[in-house]
Amino acid sequence: MTRDVAILGAAVLPVAKWQQPRDAALQVLEHEVLAKIVIEAVADAGIDKSEVSSLAFAQPRPYTQQKYFATFMANYLRLPCTGSVQEILGNGMTAALAFEAAANDIRLGRSRVALALGINWESAIPAVEHMMNSMRATGDVDFHAPFGFTPISWYAMDAARYIHEFKSSREELATVAVKNRRHASLNPIAQFRKPISLEDVLAQKPIVEPLGLYEVPPRGDGAACIVLVDEDVAKASGRPYVRVRGSGFFHEGAHQINEVPNDMIALVSAQRAGQAAYLEAGVTASDIDLAELYAPCTIIEVLASEALGLVPRGQGGRLCAEGATSLGGRIPICTSGGLQSRGHPAHVTPFYGFFEVWEQLTGRAGRRQVANARLAVSSAELGNYNAAMIHVLEGVR
Amino acid sequence: MTLAMQPIDRVRAFPPRLTEFTQRFWQGLGNGRFETTRCEECGRLSFPPKPFCPHCWSARIVWTPLRGRGKLYSQTMVHAAPAVFEHEIPYRVGIVDLDEGLRIATRVLATVEPKLDMAVEIIVLNYRDGPLFAARRCPELPA
Repeated sequence: MTRDVAILGAAVLPVAKWQQPRDAALQVLEHEVLAKIVIEAVADAGIDKSEVSSLAFAQPRPYTQQKYFATFMANYLRLPCTGSVQEILGNGMTAALAFEAAANDIRLGRSRVALALGINWESAIPAVEHMMNSMRATGDVDFHAPFGFTPISWYAMDAARYIHEFKSSREELATVAVKNRRHASLNPIAQFRKPISLEDVLAQKPIVEPLGLYEVPPRGDGAACIVLVDEDVAKASGRPYVRVRGSGFFHEGAHQINEVPNDMIALVSAQRAGQAAYLEAGVTASDIDLAELYAPCTIIEVLASEALGLVPRGQGGRLCAEGATSLGGRIPICTSGGLQSRGHPAHVTPFYGFFEVWEQLTGRAGRRQVANARLAVSSAELGNYNAAMIHVLEGVR
Repeated sequence: MTLAMQPIDRVRAFPPRLTEFTQRFWQGLGNGRFETTRCEECGRLSFPPKPFCPHCWSARIVWTPLRGRGKLYSQTMVHAAPAVFEHEIPYRVGIVDLDEGLRIATRVLATVEPKLDMAVEIIVLNYRDGPLFAARRCPELPA
């Protein structure tokens, strides 16, 4: 018999360029920043430090000088743990896997309070240098990288295919960026908050055609801590909390492209993981009040929303243009501002997704609040959605 | 069947590594030969070539030639590239579905934006230090 898991508190650093250049006299260092976020999150949950017994870290970027960061932080925070202390890596899915690792300690009864946490520092590393790393993470080093594929070039090819198959257009897909910036303008922790028009988006320099600068993720730094507890602890607290109703995972056994030609833009992993999460939660896509999707590029939000059944296949772009996925629309998507505007500190990005869901389902989202929000779906992925982890979360007030 | 070849007077920006197993692919490519592995147990092809069958895990594989023809499934022009490719921007990359039922990723050579699903052929780019391959529009109309 496994235990039920709830989120009882959370804190994040506003996404921004925090990392200092290597030669700067004064550094803004990861452990100092994350410690502050942890203390804030644990206070938010009304939990005493002594109750924390598991730490599941998203692995930092390779630029973080302090290695074995998890065990270093257990020392820095003086946190003896009886559950586990671990550091997890899974590309863009990293923070969702860390969330699951913390949840699993609770499900198995190893911990009653577990922290899912991490910090992603990378913005002072020039993009051309960073891409020397990331191109080796999103492709076969010997059979893809030699041609010059970049992480987002795969998403660009999704966009080209989607436009081709569904008679969509760059203009239609670009409305996702406009909508997400409008959402971010209401989010104090978002990296970019100044509203933009469709013309602004279309006027940006091309990055990976058909996508321009505002249709791909910016680079930024972030840190987050989510406090997961046994639902009994949440109930006893008398505070509003978020219950983990269901989770699903699927890896299609392919890396970037499937050597057996398939429907690349169906995002089969999101479909399969989503079905598993809905099934466990006992809900269907039509029950969902809002979705916080891991979508580095505009096109990916469209594809993921279709794969999760939130909008019909081939219509995600058009429905975004019509406002269905905006705040106040039928199914608000990425009320945080999404990865383009809230920001994308990749190894902790899914934590920011959980944070937005936490704020929405506990009624703390301020001007972004989705009225009467009770059920949310969140996603995380790696590669070109070759794997997906989907959560269904429920607000309990 | 030999692929068309195009000499390129520079070294590859990020050359593939060779193993005892994959060197046959790259050396063959340099001579215009495009081939991969097929499983003798289940009959399925694999790409990249592998010393076993990823579908049934059999070790009984044989090398088999590929025609080097297919359709362009998708493509993009890259304007922001890793350091080693910076001098090449902008450049096109794409995904090709080969006639044999394999999906591969490759450079795409085109002076104007290519239409998806158009017939393409694979050619060899012979750099000073070794080969890569690329896709370009088929000289003939698709059948």
